[in-house]
Amino acid sequence: MSRMTQAELRTDLVAEYAAWLTGFLPNDYYERYREYRWDIGLRRAHQRAAFEAGWLQPTWSPEHGGRSLGLAEAMEIRLEAAMRSAPKLPNVAGPGVAAPGIRQFGTAAQIDRLLIPLLRGDEWWALGMSEPEAGSDFASLRTRAVRNDPDGRVFRVKGRKIWTTQAHQSRWCTLYARTDPDAPKHRGISCLILDLESPGVTIEPIRMASISDETFCEVILDDVEIPADSLLGPVNGGWQVAMSSLNHERQMIWIMNWVEIQRGLSSVRDSQATHDDYASGEVFAELGSLLADAEALRATGYRALNNELADRPSPEADILKLLGSQTLQRVWELSAAAAGPRSIDDTDLLFERQDALAATIYGGTSEIQRNIIAERLLGLPKG
Amino acid sequence: MDVGLNSGQLALRDSVRDVLRAECPPAIARQAMTDPDRWRTVWKTVVDLGWSELAVPTADGDSSFGRMDLTVVLEECGAALAPVPLLSSVGLAAGLLRLAGPAVDDVLAEIGSGVVAALAVHPPGHRLPAVPMTLQEGRVYGRAVAVPGLPRAELVVTLASSADGPVAAVVRVGDGVTVREAECTDPAQPVADVEIDAQAIAIAPVDLESALATPLVAAAADLVGVAGAALDRAIEYAKTRRQFGKPIGAFQGIKHALADNYVALERARGLTYAAAARHDDPATSVAAGWNAAALAKAAAADAAVGCGRTAVQVHGALAQTWEHDMHLYLRHAWQGASTLGDSRALYHAVGRRFAGSRADDDQQGSAIRKGHEEWRQ
Repeated sequence: MSRMTQAELRTDLVAEYAAWLTGFLPNDYYERYREYRWDIGLRRAHQRAAFEAGWLQPTWSPEHGGRSLGLAEAMEIRLEAAMRSAPKLPNVAGPGVAAPGIRQFGTAAQIDRLLIPLLRGDEWWALGMSEPEAGSDFASLRTRAVRNDPDGRVFRVKGRKIWTTQAHQSRWCTLYARTDPDAPKHRGISCLILDLESPGVTIEPIRMASISDETFCEVILDDVEIPADSLLGPVNGGWQVAMSSLNHERQMIWIMNWVEIQRGLSSVRDSQATHDDYASGEVFAELGSLLADAEALRATGYRALNNELADRPSPEADILKLLGSQTLQRVWELSAAAAGPRSIDDTDLLFERQDALAATIYGGTSEIQRNIIAERLLGLPKG
Repeated sequence: MDVGLNSGQLALRDSVRDVLRAECPPAIARQAMTDPDRWRTVWKTVVDLGWSELAVPTADGDSSFGRMDLTVVLEECGAALAPVPLLSSVGLAAGLLRLAGPAVDDVLAEIGSGVVAALAVHPPGHRLPAVPMTLQEGRVYGRAVAVPGLPRAELVVTLASSADGPVAAVVRVGDGVTVREAECTDPAQPVADVEIDAQAIAIAPVDLESALATPLVAAAADLVGVAGAALDRAIEYAKTRRQFGKPIGAFQGIKHALADNYVALERARGLTYAAAARHDDPATSVAAGWNAAALAKAAAADAAVGCGRTAVQVHGALAQTWEHDMHLYLRHAWQGASTLGDSRALYHAVGRRFAGSRADDDQQGSAIRKGHEEWRQ
């Protein structure tokens, strides 16, 4: 197929998606975006409708709610959704992280039982990864899962998970637990699908510093029994399940960051109307630098995609998380600077600034990202 | 959006890299700092290999990849610190003329054949490129500063104001063209001020922004090359130099600085390739093309200076010596960073333009989307 036809195909698809989204959204969506962004009912309805129309995971097959699109087409759809400020998924961990893991590693029975309710948004998912003593050093987790004998039909699980987003609203959790305490720490972890309604599970929401509705929880596991057929992936293969599931999120993270950056840049521009001394040189210079960051993010995302499509290594993809999250923080700081003292009583801006702080932490902190770049891409020795 | 190199461009990159590795190690740049004729043998190789012919747009009107090829070659020459006027003559001077039409065809052919040209677009006292000359009855008058490669040039390409608007004008170095060379940051790439009162040999009306976009991308490509090479040198040293019982690259203080350099490099490279691809795309508006080029140049200067400075820091006292190569990278980076607009001035220009554009909400799409679309046209 020639380049031109492919491009036309993409344009048609994007137009089809855009028409679908416009049809779904309320007429006053853009005027009242500040309210609608918190409207959980609308966000749930949007996820369900997107799933039914095949837009939720466009690269997946129709029976999993997709359209069997290529990576390039799917990226155009995601960018279009981002540019049109499509309602945010209410439980990103489900479709973004758990679903790809289930699809890649799940048994037929697991996929059959779990995938569709997840994608429709009927059942939410939590990621049982961080622990009080295992944050960036995820592989040192201590939660234990023990089978009484090698063929035992249940794992007994004891331990504590923390910063587990939305666990109190979720039905399921991909729980990472140590199944072989004698193996090297990366090789003794398994992923278990935990029904959060099981006896022995206690979930305590943790009050957030901001008005975020992505609430952290502490999850205490006191002799919880998990059936052995709830194992996701191989026994002691949890590290691969985790890395592979998070990898699916990578493209989503930069696109999410990118659109938030665009929103921040627009807010800087809008400050101009209300503030006399907006036109100070440093605001313009920082604005230009942030425009370069945003454009670099997009260009790098496309370069990485083109390399993936051509079966070439795409090392530049590893900068997307680091660059995107840092830029996001800078753009909201500039927005505050451009607004002057008006920033103080702008609680939307307060939320944006607080929310941006999470971006350099979740999905691997910036410090871990730098270690990954230095060690895997630049070949520097481990510390 | 095509923003990577295709396999043909990757092959071109590798062959250019191989030639330069054999013919032009950084020691040549050091020699060129004190021997004013050292560049000539390398330039002969460059011209014999046909790289200077990238000055001439392809004849069939399908210029796709033309600028991308030039980008690739300039990046490699920057990485090798090749002391040749490829950037100044083919990238900058010919770049400005690229869209100037048939009136400059002969000049482009000359530059393509290896005749060296230089681009004079800095009026005294300006940080951003502008129009330094005036044109009256076919004669060019005016003064420009810091003209890259001028001491080696036979032709000067410049911008002049005329009664009919801005024009690109070309004069031959000789009577009426006074070249004032002084010591400069990177003597391997000498610059000079120029005063002109001479007959133009070619004149063509131009749109300033579209004319300047190609030189900006060319300058960016050169600086991306410098940044990548300086980073490579720092990485190699950090792997081998040992202190406190381990390679210094095992310490996060070094590791994270180099990781940040890598981000700056790929940021610049992504912007540069995207800007080059955009210029080959007829759907790009003039303003969007200039924005993309200006941001690429600014990012590339940031990357080159940043990687160069970190590389000096990683090498420690060693990098303070004449014999070590690191000052060569930084000299080249610093000089390039101030040519055609320093990064703060370029960011400022693009930021101010963005701030001045308005996005009106409507029911068809969000403000973000509208802003984005205006921006990328």
